[in-house]
Amino acid sequence: MPPSRFPIPQGTLDMLILQIVSLEPVHGYGIALRLEQISRSVVQVNQGSLYPALHRLEQRGWLKAKWKQSETGREAKFYSLTAAGRLQLTEERNSWARLAGAVQLIFDEGSGS
Amino acid sequence: MRQLVNWFRRKQMDRDLDRELQYHLDRRITDLKNSGLPAQEARKRAMQELGGIVQTQEEVRDIWLRWWLTDFLYDFRFSLRSFLRTPSFTITALLSLTLGIGATTAIYSLVDQIVLHALPVREPERLVLFDWDGDWVGNGFGSWNLMPYPVCRDLDQQKQFFEDVFCRALTPVNLSIGGDTSPVTAEIVSGNYFPVLGVGAAVGQVITSDDDHAPNAVTVISYDFWRTHLSGASDVVGRKLLVNGHPLTIIGVAASTFRGIDVGEVPVLWIPASMSTAVVPGLNDLLDRRTFWMQVLGRLNPGMTRQRAESGLQPWFKAMLQEDMGRPGFPVITAERRQEYLNSSLTLTSAPQGHSPLRRQLSDPLWMLFAATAVLLGLVCLNVSGLFLARASTRVREIATRLALGASSGRLTRQLLAESLLIALAGGLLGIALAPLGVRVLIAFIPRGISANALHAGIDSRLLLFALLVTVIAGIVSGLAPAFQSGQCSLASSLRERGGTAFGRVRLRKIIVTAQIALALTLVVGAGLFVRTFDALITKGPGFVTSSLVSFGIDAMRGGYSNAEGEKMMAHVEDAIHRSPMIQKSAIARNPLLTGGSWNNQMTIFADQRIVTDRLVHLNAVTPGFFETLGIKLLAGRNFDDHDVSPPGRPGWRSAIVSAGFVKRYLAGRNPLGTRICLDRRPDAKPTMEIVGVMSDFSYRGLRDDTEQAYFPFYEGEHPFGTFYVRVRGNPEPALESLRAIVRSAAPTLPMTDFRTLDEQVHRSLNAERMLATLSGSFSTIALLLSLVGLYGVMSFVATQRTHEIGIRLALGARRWSTIWLVLRDGLVMILSGICIGLPIVLALGRLVESQLFQVKSWDPAVIAIAILALSLAGLGATLLPAHRASGVNATDALRVD
Repeated sequence: MPPSRFPIPQGTLDMLILQIVSLEPVHGYGIALRLEQISRSVVQVNQGSLYPALHRLEQRGWLKAKWKQSETGREAKFYSLTAAGRLQLTEERNSWARLAGAVQLIFDEGSGS
Repeated sequence: MRQLVNWFRRKQMDRDLDRELQYHLDRRITDLKNSGLPAQEARKRAMQELGGIVQTQEEVRDIWLRWWLTDFLYDFRFSLRSFLRTPSFTITALLSLTLGIGATTAIYSLVDQIVLHALPVREPERLVLFDWDGDWVGNGFGSWNLMPYPVCRDLDQQKQFFEDVFCRALTPVNLSIGGDTSPVTAEIVSGNYFPVLGVGAAVGQVITSDDDHAPNAVTVISYDFWRTHLSGASDVVGRKLLVNGHPLTIIGVAASTFRGIDVGEVPVLWIPASMSTAVVPGLNDLLDRRTFWMQVLGRLNPGMTRQRAESGLQPWFKAMLQEDMGRPGFPVITAERRQEYLNSSLTLTSAPQGHSPLRRQLSDPLWMLFAATAVLLGLVCLNVSGLFLARASTRVREIATRLALGASSGRLTRQLLAESLLIALAGGLLGIALAPLGVRVLIAFIPRGISANALHAGIDSRLLLFALLVTVIAGIVSGLAPAFQSGQCSLASSLRERGGTAFGRVRLRKIIVTAQIALALTLVVGAGLFVRTFDALITKGPGFVTSSLVSFGIDAMRGGYSNAEGEKMMAHVEDAIHRSPMIQKSAIARNPLLTGGSWNNQMTIFADQRIVTDRLVHLNAVTPGFFETLGIKLLAGRNFDDHDVSPPGRPGWRSAIVSAGFVKRYLAGRNPLGTRICLDRRPDAKPTMEIVGVMSDFSYRGLRDDTEQAYFPFYEGEHPFGTFYVRVRGNPEPALESLRAIVRSAAPTLPMTDFRTLDEQVHRSLNAERMLATLSGSFSTIALLLSLVGLYGVMSFVATQRTHEIGIRLALGARRWSTIWLVLRDGLVMILSGICIGLPIVLALGRLVESQLFQVKSWDPAVIAIAILALSLAGLGATLLPAHRASGVNATDALRVD
């Protein structure tokens, strides 16, 4: 694996999953593909931690799942956001923005002096 | 709820997870192959990326479990917090549940101990009890299921049905050990008793069949007696004790768990049947087929049913009856009676709990009380439901918020069920902790002699299981209505409701209160019936003056004395009592009064025509001063005098005094005095006695007794035993001790049995009635209070809801009473429909309690009317208060609300 990719920060996986699912109902493999696409050569997502995360989010009531026919014609488990999940995603996005902004501020200040 | 469901759906969830991961793998492999990787390589790569299927599965499963646990803990903590926030709600709910579960557990403890619990013996379910159904043509002593000893021996030969058949009889004996004499209960048993039951010895050995062949002066003592009276001495085997003056050698101590086969009467020692003529007074021939005194029980062969054994035995039984009639010594009887005798049959009842007269006496009252507690518990659950609903209506905003935040309504339902289960569990634990206290209260209603060694107030595993089951059921039932309610809750409607105007919620609460009133009515009517029964019995009384009357039994035969010696001692005691200045009068009766038993027979009356009594006449023999001592009026004729006793050498009675009831039933319109009668129903019976007096009716066996009685003079030459009735001067309590001293100094070796005042005897004879009246009374009071609380709660809520409406009406000029009526009407509808639902239940259940009632019918209009009236008035009060408050609202204030 290319050394330039760094492991995904703790806790951000859930946020990413929520974000992906928020676009449209999608099954686990679809999420894996999307993760790979959007994070190609930037972050490294261990597919092994994807399913535990999905089930954790489902148990927490942020995701709901339904067995539906997939694009290949086989039944797959499709995840979608619940109302609580949507709230959670907004909250995480906001706090991420605040955190990122704050970190940026600190860096800016450091380079400015 | 989902996680709880997860727990039970784990297989399904595992399968789903497999499918999900398989889908991922298959897709990944296809994609990798399409990008040019060889199949083998693609597969390996896909697996690697997923980090191993098994690990992933394990990780996901851990999440399910952890989530289930944390969720559960969360619910638990959340419930706890919300309980602490509303302490008055919590305490009310907790106390009601504690009361309901505690009472149910306590009553069940007695039901279990007395009625249900199988004997601690080998395979008790295979035990059966025999009964002779029909005319015995013989003498019986004892009560219930009496059989002669030889029939037991015969039945033991029927090996195609029974593994073994044994017999036993309880008998009171005087036990002397180390100079101390005390009256105790002994069980006379056939030699196979212990082996068939599979009961062994804790020390030494038990009685065996070898002890049947010849009188063997041995005994086995009970474990409890060994521990308490012989301080568990290890050298107990070989010691001697005196039973009715006969020395018996102790050969062993029975197993610690074994207390005989009668839950109501625990024997202190077991004596082989071969010794019975020596230790049972009045029994002259063990092999006499006309003396019925033992209970016979058998152990069915494996696979044999009670029905098959019963029908299979009839041919043998009929043959035995035929054979019996040809035996020397069989009484000469009429052809008609012969036919009756031959029509007798043998019945078998299943007897895993052994044989117990106490069970016969108490099982009906106990089941009734158990049913009453079940109703009470139902009412408690409804009450808790109502409380939950009431609380839910104040939590509308909280619930709406949680729904808005995405909590599913299932999640809320689970939360509510968790709350009711949690509070039921707490109430159940408290109830279980308090149950022993309740059992002790219940045991106090049962005569001390029985309860002391037979019943216990402890919590055993069976009872614990029962209590937990009841707790869980109560928790679920209490939570059902609130859970149902919240299940119907939708986000939109919750948010639309302002200040909690949920009409559905009120309707459910109203239904609950209506059901409460219906249940309360059944309990109040039941209590009314039992209280009236008890009251009627107390008012009726025994028919004689009980105050300052004392009685005790003496049996010289059991002291090991000969008849002549015994008579001398009885006379000596009588003299000593007569001489004492503190005693007014005294007399002796052959049989004690108010103990449930009697001596009885059919009689022939030689009036202008021959009359054979159609019922048993209850008989007693008394000394001349008896009626005077008890204060029983002589309505006609004279009392006994010394001439009424036949001259020595020709024993028998020449005169009799009969009860007013006897005259009314058989000699109405005729002069009873001088009418000749005899104690026999045979056609060849000769008139041997003359009625010399008529006494007023009084209770013989018990206060309910309304049977006919005939009394004969107590004469010498019979067995020297009897019950002394002593009228003392003043208060009987202090007289008891001096009386005991008098008897002890007159006859030091004769123990007095059943030494008590007649007031106490009356009290004892009404144990079951008192228990029913007291407990059903308390239960119905609680039920009434609970339903009033429920009614008040709902009405307050309704009144608050309508404050706005009432304000408008008042502003528009409505009268105050019309606004009161507005609220009152709601309450009245609930009360009346509760009563309408309750009445058919009352009528249906009434039949079940009929057997316990006295001078009152189960549909007694007065009792039902009073119950309805009480319930309506109390309910009206609970409704009027909030209605009045609501109508007192100031119109402007009301309109400004919200």
